[in-house]
Amino acid sequence: MSNINHKTYAMNAITPMKWWKTWIVRAFFFILGTVKPLQKDLVQLSFIHFARWVIIKRNEFPHVCNQQPREKLKYDYLLFFSNFNGTWNQYIDAFSAVLSVGLNLIWRWSEKFPGSVPVTPFKQYIARCQFDTDYYYTAYPYATTNDVKAAHRVQDALDALEKESAGKTAEEFARSYRKFVLAVQSDLGQTGKAPVGT
Amino acid sequence: MANQSGDVYGLTILSPILQDLTAETSHNCAIRMKLAGLPNDESSPFAKVSSTHMARLVVMDDVVYVGMPSCEEHLKSQYLVFETNFDGDLDTYLTRMAREIPADVDAVWQHCWGYPGTKDMAAFIAYMKKCQITTTFYFADVNNHTVQQTLTALQTQAAVAEFIEKNQDKTAAELQAAFAHFLGKLREAPAPVPGRPEKGGPPRIETDMKWATRNAANTQQVTHNE
Repeated sequence: MSNINHKTYAMNAITPMKWWKTWIVRAFFFILGTVKPLQKDLVQLSFIHFARWVIIKRNEFPHVCNQQPREKLKYDYLLFFSNFNGTWNQYIDAFSAVLSVGLNLIWRWSEKFPGSVPVTPFKQYIARCQFDTDYYYTAYPYATTNDVKAAHRVQDALDALEKESAGKTAEEFARSYRKFVLAVQSDLGQTGKAPVGT
Repeated sequence: MANQSGDVYGLTILSPILQDLTAETSHNCAIRMKLAGLPNDESSPFAKVSSTHMARLVVMDDVVYVGMPSCEEHLKSQYLVFETNFDGDLDTYLTRMAREIPADVDAVWQHCWGYPGTKDMAAFIAYMKKCQITTTFYFADVNNHTVQQTLTALQTQAAVAEFIEKNQDKTAAELQAAFAHFLGKLREAPAPVPGRPEKGGPPRIETDMKWATRNAANTQQVTHNE
């Protein structure tokens, strides 16, 4: 089991849904994908590199050859995969505190979903529906998503300074450099090993 | 398309795992043993397919029963779940997997129903696409930068922090010269390696800060002795 690779945690969960409810979830995701401001809370949480929800209809599990037995299922299933920074508890707590309305809109159609608030039954439900990762790779194991965003801001500012400072006198360059330092100073946090989790 | 967010593609594959009651080691166990032995740093096969941001492989044993009054049901096959986030298009990525890490891909997927192997590229791509499940909603926090751009930016960030720390007391002319030298060195630096924890890791500024703390402690000691 390797849910964790340095600073990133790989979470997998699967929940059953009655087939006719999946259309409601699809409609919600369509709206969420189309109206970008609705993703504001997800973006502002800023500790998720990548996340996805995948609906598998009960007759859509891959069937690749005749020897493979066909699935006979009553429920459609909602799969959730997330790549986030921090510990499982921090993640679920933050989800429950910040995204409770959105989470309820997504998971309330799953069987026996207790709601994302209060957090204790929510955590029990997630723990029941979660399955462990066997292999997990990340290209930047020491960097959180905030580190990545900050690094790109530094890179952009440095590129701009390089372009802007061509042909300038030393005094003019020093002024531009000071502005650059002021602009990037809050983006120079260290990357490195993850703190010991709780 | 929900499989894509900006320039990043989110691929989800579910491959049904073989069942063989006569096998000494069950196929799901064999996959798990293989995965347990795969490195997940810069030696990872996915570091070779360098457009991979993050990837996971999971054996899904069954669906979940959440209790009464819902119905209890079970899968007839276990599934190998492959979830990956990468730059570019699907065909290029699958082609790179088959060309650059064929041994690892075959070693894992040979335990799945109907797997044709990587030697027949067309059959391999067709098989993977047959096992693909379309993503319903995909979120990527940074979706407009490639893996290499991100690694380079992290390297730049560490280098800039160190440069600023070391050049605080320079005159304008010295600063300009040091900056030109710094940019030259940065451009010449070897490309960062995906999956390597050290690269883009703690910049040397950390050592300097410890030195500064030690220096402050020494100063206090001197004051006390005086």
